[in-house]
Amino acid sequence: MPAIEQISPVLIQNNISRAASDVFKTMLGLELVLGIATSSTPSDSPRHAPGGVIETGPHIVGAVGFVGTINGLIYLYLDLPFARHCTAHMLGMSDKELEQAGDEVINDAIGEITNMTVGSFKNGLCDSGFPCTLTIPSILRGSSFSIEPISSVMRQTFRFECGAHRVVADILIKIGD
Amino acid sequence: MRYKILTVDDSKTVRIIVRKAFKGYDCDILEAGNGVEGLALAAKEMPDLILLDVTMPVMDGVEMLTKLKADPTLKAIPVMMLTAEGGRDHVLKIAKIGVRDYLVKPFKEDVLIEKVGRVIDLKPLSDAPSKTKSILDAADIVIIDDKPAIIQQIQDGLKHTPWRVHGVATQGEAIDFCARTPPDIIIVSLSLPEESAFTLFRLIRTNVKTKYTPVFALVVKTEAQQQQQAQTLGFSAIVTKPIDLGELETKIAKAMNLDTSQRYFATEGNNLVMRLPENCSNPVLAEAAIYLKPKLSDAVDAGLNKVVIDIHQLKALHMGVIKLLFSAMQTCRELGMHFALVGNAQIISECKGFEDTRGWTFYESLDEAKANLGKAPAGAAPQLAPA
Repeated sequence: MPAIEQISPVLIQNNISRAASDVFKTMLGLELVLGIATSSTPSDSPRHAPGGVIETGPHIVGAVGFVGTINGLIYLYLDLPFARHCTAHMLGMSDKELEQAGDEVINDAIGEITNMTVGSFKNGLCDSGFPCTLTIPSILRGSSFSIEPISSVMRQTFRFECGAHRVVADILIKIGD
Repeated sequence: MRYKILTVDDSKTVRIIVRKAFKGYDCDILEAGNGVEGLALAAKEMPDLILLDVTMPVMDGVEMLTKLKADPTLKAIPVMMLTAEGGRDHVLKIAKIGVRDYLVKPFKEDVLIEKVGRVIDLKPLSDAPSKTKSILDAADIVIIDDKPAIIQQIQDGLKHTPWRVHGVATQGEAIDFCARTPPDIIIVSLSLPEESAFTLFRLIRTNVKTKYTPVFALVVKTEAQQQQQAQTLGFSAIVTKPIDLGELETKIAKAMNLDTSQRYFATEGNNLVMRLPENCSNPVLAEAAIYLKPKLSDAVDAGLNKVVIDIHQLKALHMGVIKLLFSAMQTCRELGMHFALVGNAQIISECKGFEDTRGWTFYESLDEAKANLGKAPAGAAPQLAPA
């Protein structure tokens, strides 16, 4: 089994780019274009880390972890209007039906999109010699928040453009014990 | 038989997508949110297939699958994994426990349906199960032939029908077409290169959307071996070249189980008009005969008691026609209906030559017949219209 330090930023970028594009294309018929990619190491101050995500406006953030010979967590940020659009499209609902269905349905749909994206990402890691399994998705909702990782994580952030909307994938991988 | 599919997934989103995907098929979707609920529902409902996620709270998919396969009453239920867990080692581990198929998320609904269709005999629901389609309804027919002239000939020959006739040249185009617009009839030329007609037929029969679609083989009349091969393989009908377009139309209507009564019967004002076409071959007469009593009975039921039997388009009289006309007149008498005949000079003349038809009298036009029938009082005894 290769050492975790051998996981290159390129492998991570290729995996997340393929995974996110595949999920959005297959489930939603949307094209994602990778924009800015940033990374940070444990030696960077979390507050000033270049990979930190500070998104403003109402957002829904899906989080799914992977545990095994490699441990990590991926947050997927979607602004609320885009999250609503994705949910309605995926479930074949009108805006009115979505309104009646409530926030739980949107949370569940974004949780599933995150689950598929992280699943596809980590399957690539498994096949590269890092077997691991997924955790159950969780959801955060809020405005103007940022997530600061604990120390000893490698962090890479990828911003994807989808028309007027943005999807951010924030990847945190634990290194060392 | 209506199949039961159990979807076990903690994501309501996935369960909704599965339900949506199978909406157009003859099956019931049962839902469970984790392995414990899944096992309980499987034991209660005995589904025909289980779609199973891996990562779930309470009891995950691997544990549920292990327990299912250890239970003698449940172990025969086929399981298809539908999960984001798709690493090679993981798939191999689960495959060893015993699954029928493995579909990694994200997934397209079409792919899910196709894979499920390989496990259970999934049938598409009819758009309008209670209403029989008729020859006046639109339908999509696709012809696969690399000779544009043949496609054009069929398109021209069926122009008078409400059917949309599409033409494609290759097996690949045919598959794409069927995926986009599942047709009502598929006509495949057996002269496509490299026997691709037979390969295409097998692909059509393995696709859930087209496995019950009638497929006709289009073949040169003298190619007996190809015709035999097509029959053995299970083609619905053989259409020989040169194409008899009337026969093709009849075969299409029969394959689609269409109500063709409108060819022979129509309600016009207060009259039921029975019309025979120019050429009354035996299949045509047999078809008209099938509808005769039901249509006349329906007319009586609807309050009509006058029938015009219009054979003015007919080119020649023969015993088959005479028998059908006798049968029509007899039925009218039994039902208490008034009737009148309309014919052309040739037919009227031929009728004079037969003992049994010599006494028949005809009007020269439909309007004249209707006008005279209109004089018959409602409820009056039936009679043959004037000599």
